[in-house]
Amino acid sequence: MSLPPAKAPTRRAIMDRLVEAAREDRSFVVLDSDIGYSTYSYLFGDAYPDRYFNLGIAELGTMAAAAGLAADGRTVFVCGYGVFLTMRALEAVRSFVCYPRLNVKIFSSHAGVTAAIDGVTHQATEDLAFMATLPNMTVLAPCDSASARAAFDLARNTPGPVFVRLMRDPLKEVYAPETTFRVGGSHTPRRGDDVTIACLGDMVIQAVEAAELLAAEGISAEVLDLYSLKPWDEAALAKSLDRTGALLVAENHQRRNGLGYELAAWCMRNGRSVPFAQLGLADTFAESGAYAKTLEKFGLDAAAIARTARDLVARKN
Amino acid sequence: MTNPSARSPEERVAFLEAKARDVRRAIVEMVHSAQSGHCGGSLSAADFVTALYFDLMDIDPAEPRKPDRDRFVLSKGHACPVWYAALALRGYFPVEELSTLRRNDSRLQGHPVATYLPGVDATSGSLGLGFGQALGMALDARLSGRTNTVWAVLGDGELDEGVVWETAAQAAKYRLDNLVAIVDRNNLQNDGRADDILPMEPIDRKFESFNWRVLEMDGHDMRQVLATLEKARERTGKPTCVIARTVKGKGVSFMEDKREWHGKPPSDEERRRACEEIEGRTE
Repeated sequence: MSLPPAKAPTRRAIMDRLVEAAREDRSFVVLDSDIGYSTYSYLFGDAYPDRYFNLGIAELGTMAAAAGLAADGRTVFVCGYGVFLTMRALEAVRSFVCYPRLNVKIFSSHAGVTAAIDGVTHQATEDLAFMATLPNMTVLAPCDSASARAAFDLARNTPGPVFVRLMRDPLKEVYAPETTFRVGGSHTPRRGDDVTIACLGDMVIQAVEAAELLAAEGISAEVLDLYSLKPWDEAALAKSLDRTGALLVAENHQRRNGLGYELAAWCMRNGRSVPFAQLGLADTFAESGAYAKTLEKFGLDAAAIARTARDLVARKN
Repeated sequence: MTNPSARSPEERVAFLEAKARDVRRAIVEMVHSAQSGHCGGSLSAADFVTALYFDLMDIDPAEPRKPDRDRFVLSKGHACPVWYAALALRGYFPVEELSTLRRNDSRLQGHPVATYLPGVDATSGSLGLGFGQALGMALDARLSGRTNTVWAVLGDGELDEGVVWETAAQAAKYRLDNLVAIVDRNNLQNDGRADDILPMEPIDRKFESFNWRVLEMDGHDMRQVLATLEKARERTGKPTCVIARTVKGKGVSFMEDKREWHGKPPSDEERRRACEEIEGRTE
């Protein structure tokens, strides 16, 4: 059973939910740095111009302003592209948002090579490493409309800074609209016994497709969506590995210092000696091109996941 | 503290000059005790910070988080000894705690952290980024319908940071006339003269061209400081920049206008001489 096409990209879905929530919650404000038509923050700005601040192409100053707006407890959403929010503004996020633990929520679009067409300057392929490394930061990575909408509420309701990783293109719908999500939670969109494919964001969709390819050849793969990267659902992984005994991590990010490193370290700490493989950018930059073609070229598509899973299962025996 | 407006102008100035001496002595003692920290830029800012804390700002140490309080952001966060001294002497926390500066378990961190200390609303220490937070606070005040003023203190070397000019443009866009930036123009930064390291003059015309109102004062003449800062907080439809002409290390002759006193702690003997000078016990 294949996944239905997405109604909207996650960057749009989360903003639709934000605009809905703004109707009854007058307290929060939204900041953008002149990409409101791309982050869809303009939807909020058009409806609530008095609570929307477009501070110009000035991401660092904007993040500092967010800290000032949040200093007395107000919740501030900052929208932009991951490359700028997590690198140009990184120091303000670290020292002035995370350190004093302010209610600044970062909605970060163009994650991984989902911005493939724009090229490397617009592809946030190290963002999870930067954000998950910061003390006090919560990190979420939804994969579809339902999880992106839920990410808004999780971000708003979780005290302190929250980073939400969003995607440029509409992909597939994985979850029913009424699905519930929680910080530190996970979902298992495909159950299986032979190998665990741990993933987040758009890789959940590739992993589900890989699981279908594998099923056709008699391999039962479990897809574990760790949509909450920090904190992440250790109990769910432990349970899954108890059953499958093999771990493949797929992430649209550098392999270094992302989900794969996190889970590998956890396996070592917990004496889980299982066959392990990692898919992600192998210490390389990607390039511009079509999203699907770029995934394929850098070994992040369903076929690559299926191939690697097959090898892992063989190593078990 | 007596209501400043109940005093005659002469009494206000005399009271603040005495307080500024207490602040200066506390700065020297604190940095001596830590054997680390920044005397020079703390002493240059001592007079106007004293005027703000002991006269001009609407604050209440008994209720440090009262919503309509004036906000103070030390964007040149390395000069936090002057802030800590003013806060302690104003009653926000015990003066004895000043000797814990930069020590483990102390609330007096090497650079100021919001929420650690009553009266500290903004984390700072990375130059340029306190200013942006002050802008956010000014926006927040407007949104919340509060009439308080947000005071930000910047170093003149800090103007080298590009983000300062992002903030300057953003504040002008929103006509934040509840925001006052005081530039501590002591013309010394870590490596030398501010005018040599990265020339930023004309500072007044730069801010004016960003649509700020610009005022200037002798930052060590308490009469001028009071008069200028009173004018600065008037609402005019524009944010205000006050250029405070100051001397780095002011009040301690051997520190005055000396580059090496940017971040050097005084020895026991230097501490003794400095405190005597500040108290006026030497010629």
